[in-house]
Amino acid sequence: MADVKTVFINGVEYPFDAGQTVIQVAHENGLDVPHYCYHPGLSIAGNCRICMVEVEGDAKPQVSCKLECAPPPWVSEPLRIQTESELAKSARAGTMEMLLVNHPLDCPICDQAGECHLQDYSYQLGQGQASSSTAKTKLPKNVAFGEKIVYDAERCIKCTLCVRFCEEVTETNELNLGGRGDEEIVIMSSKGEFETDYSMNIIDICPVGALTSRDFRFKSRLWFMDFADSVCTGCARGCNVITGGRNGSMMRMEPRHNADVNQWWMCDQGRLDYRYVNTPTRIATPRIKTADGVWAAATVDDAILAAAAALKAAGGNVLVDGGCTLEEMHLAQQLAAALGGKATYAAATGEADGFLRVAEQGANAAGAELLGLARATKAGAAAVLVVERDANVPQALRDGADAVVVFATDADHVPASAQVVFPFGSSAERDGLFVNTDGRVQVAQRNPGIGPDNLTPPYELLEEILGELDAGYDWHGRDGIVAAIQAQPAFAKISLPAAQATAEVGATS
Amino acid sequence: MTAKKKAAAKKASTKKASAKKAAAPAKVVRAADGSYPETRILSANFGVKDSWTLPVAKKNGAYKSLEKAIKTMTPAEVIDEVKTSRVRGRGGAGFPTGVKWGFVPTDTDKAKYLVLNADESEPGTFKDRFLMELDPHLVLEGCLLCAYATGLDVIYIYVRGEYPLSIARLEGAIEEAREAGLLGKDILGKKGFNVEAHVHPGAGAYICGEETGMLESLEGKRGHPRIKPPFPAVEGAFGCPTVINNVETLAHVPSIIEHGGAWFGDLGIAPDPDNPRAMGSAGTKLMGLSGDIKTPGCWEFEFGITVRELIEQYGGGALDGRTIKAVIPGGLSMPVLTADELDVPMGFDALVKVGSGLGTATAIVMDDACDMVEACENIAHFFADESCGQCTPCREGCHWMEKIFTRIKAGDGTPADLDLLEHLFVNIEGRTICALADAAVWPLRSILRKFRHEFLAKMPGHADPHAADAKASDAAAPVGAK
Repeated sequence: MADVKTVFINGVEYPFDAGQTVIQVAHENGLDVPHYCYHPGLSIAGNCRICMVEVEGDAKPQVSCKLECAPPPWVSEPLRIQTESELAKSARAGTMEMLLVNHPLDCPICDQAGECHLQDYSYQLGQGQASSSTAKTKLPKNVAFGEKIVYDAERCIKCTLCVRFCEEVTETNELNLGGRGDEEIVIMSSKGEFETDYSMNIIDICPVGALTSRDFRFKSRLWFMDFADSVCTGCARGCNVITGGRNGSMMRMEPRHNADVNQWWMCDQGRLDYRYVNTPTRIATPRIKTADGVWAAATVDDAILAAAAALKAAGGNVLVDGGCTLEEMHLAQQLAAALGGKATYAAATGEADGFLRVAEQGANAAGAELLGLARATKAGAAAVLVVERDANVPQALRDGADAVVVFATDADHVPASAQVVFPFGSSAERDGLFVNTDGRVQVAQRNPGIGPDNLTPPYELLEEILGELDAGYDWHGRDGIVAAIQAQPAFAKISLPAAQATAEVGATS
Repeated sequence: MTAKKKAAAKKASTKKASAKKAAAPAKVVRAADGSYPETRILSANFGVKDSWTLPVAKKNGAYKSLEKAIKTMTPAEVIDEVKTSRVRGRGGAGFPTGVKWGFVPTDTDKAKYLVLNADESEPGTFKDRFLMELDPHLVLEGCLLCAYATGLDVIYIYVRGEYPLSIARLEGAIEEAREAGLLGKDILGKKGFNVEAHVHPGAGAYICGEETGMLESLEGKRGHPRIKPPFPAVEGAFGCPTVINNVETLAHVPSIIEHGGAWFGDLGIAPDPDNPRAMGSAGTKLMGLSGDIKTPGCWEFEFGITVRELIEQYGGGALDGRTIKAVIPGGLSMPVLTADELDVPMGFDALVKVGSGLGTATAIVMDDACDMVEACENIAHFFADESCGQCTPCREGCHWMEKIFTRIKAGDGTPADLDLLEHLFVNIEGRTICALADAAVWPLRSILRKFRHEFLAKMPGHADPHAADAKASDAAAPVGAK
């Protein structure tokens, strides 16, 4: 066999690895080859036929998802591929036309609108005029795939990504195809429920609006939402996610590809865990307890002064949620030192599922250990309490702390002892660094569409309080905080991302 | 032959002179009266009492070739003999069988399988059924010769589920063969020659006659054709090297081994030395007729008989008072021939040359009472119904075509629909994993082009926008032409 190691795509020569197909090399090099049924994490089906390209010298267009870059053994020259030639474009346009002939075109009420490949490629390849005047094929709609997913067979393009996901990733085989021809549909096993807790990933990989989330259905148009790259704080795996929110509410969370952490996936539990963010008892502004024991809203500055005053009187320890960022935990240590106490963290322990979910529920427990925070295993006194999740810092710990200054997301989590309360953003609302169960440092970015307006980042509040304590603390800003953490011996072999680089995506509004 | 027929034949032969000249000379043994005789090799035992039982089959020479191969030939010699015979696959594609066997790896640790394609789901096709019902031991012997030649372990016979008698006779033959030591361990005393055979009935899907759809079905999965490569010879059933042959193909092998590949190669139509793609049509072939003729049936001929001879001499010609309008020569999936295109030999290359194909060599005849628009609706419906649904162009396109033909039939069509159909043909043919979509397009496109007037006749008040160039349309475009 000739030793061909390159492939020409649109006249440009690219190297390839053994076994790579044309679409893989094209995508690696930033070339946009449309695809529906291709997914880098699943086997190749080659059925949607939208990724067809021209192979020079071949009258028949080929699907680039399956076409190996290595030429057949009897060819000694690199393959020459055209992705934008007349043949390639007309072949793809022909497929597009077929995909739309029975598609309901109900984009105005489809949740996928705005992130739909069918819309995108229709925009690129579609024609201005419908070529079919016959009635569309009617297929089942609003079919429940378990409790969390709704299937629409008319929108479905039968790419089989969902079927292959359940076969290859979860190996639970809940889905298959039924029927033939244009009456083919995806069907669910007779159990009617997914065995896997990863079922909602099929909603993400569905290239069209055939699979929608019962949780997110009809909640919001995507173009009104804000998105930010973050990490899931449901357990210590730290699956990379994209948070989506609008007008202060968190709407959804979807996995973001990270080959080393979660590949393309996340568990349903973590995905749906976000709902605590939207609790009606959210704390939106700082509060100070007046002399007669009544809560009064306060400005941030007044609350900082009140907190500093209360802490000077009380002194003592700091107890933080295991889902706090490295920056917050570091400042908690500084604060505890200033108060003559120790900083500890609290985190729940759950059950590992053998795939992504790990038993450790403190999203940053590994970070806390690196910083040298001890794990709080039983109730103990702490002047400062930081609670993001009830699960990590349960009531017994909260009440047992007898804290005077409390950072909390939910008013229901504020113990009676509190004198000053600060609103604490949920994990979707705070910039910061997390160390996951494998010791990998990851960046969470604040989503401006989620949480109360004008939420002051907790690291700023903590620095301000430290400044007011007259303990000689200099204001660092986030870069300075990260630099201070980086300087610690435990972080000598870990490279923390610069804070500035982490803030870019957050500002999407 | 009547004077009229002779004149017609003469006319046709002048018309096709150029085509015939280029074609390889057909070795045709006609009887003195000009008729084309049957040559019964595969069908030698058809009609013999209890021909499907082992004692009768043995009396007529069954398993002699297997014994000869095992005792006097190496597996490689068997493959060479099959290569020499130039026998081509009888399932429709016409791939050289010996070459296919040669692809099976000899240095593998994996099990090797033969999957005998006995699904015979192509409309109009009923030739393999005769072999399975009347001479199952010939089929089984062919399978065993293939097993010996390629060193395979298990024979799966994937039989059309609607053929209960074929299933019963094959199962009976397997049982008899096992008892006679022709299946199982150390077959015919040959140490290490161990082969098992199983019958696997299909459940009625056309697509399971497609070789990789059949493999999926055999494995207990949905019959979705696989994307190739890997080819079945390397990775077929259960991920192992697999030979897939048609029933009739393997039924030829015993006589090839008995009389030699050269003997077989001398029968039929020789290859064209000037055209490497015209590999000739060696041997004999079961040919069938159905449709608008007096005597439908199945016969065996040396390749060379023309479509017209087959219809006139064996099919009894058109029904009284009717005239033949069109013939699809091989199953349903081939482009149609018009009445004046029938003087072409039933052969792989000759039919391709006139824009059609041999397919399964079981012709469907349509006479002047057949409405070609209705025929198209019927054909489109079949493929739309049988499309497995895997690839977009076939899944959506076949039913779309059917809807258009239905509209034209109802009188609601316009000439723009004919343009739309041509547009769809381009976007369906050659754009899918398997050939079902091609099989749908070929007959439909050829009927639309050759009988365009019938479509326009259903559109009163509409002028044909392409009237001027209608004549120039490539009525005889080669298979696969756009």
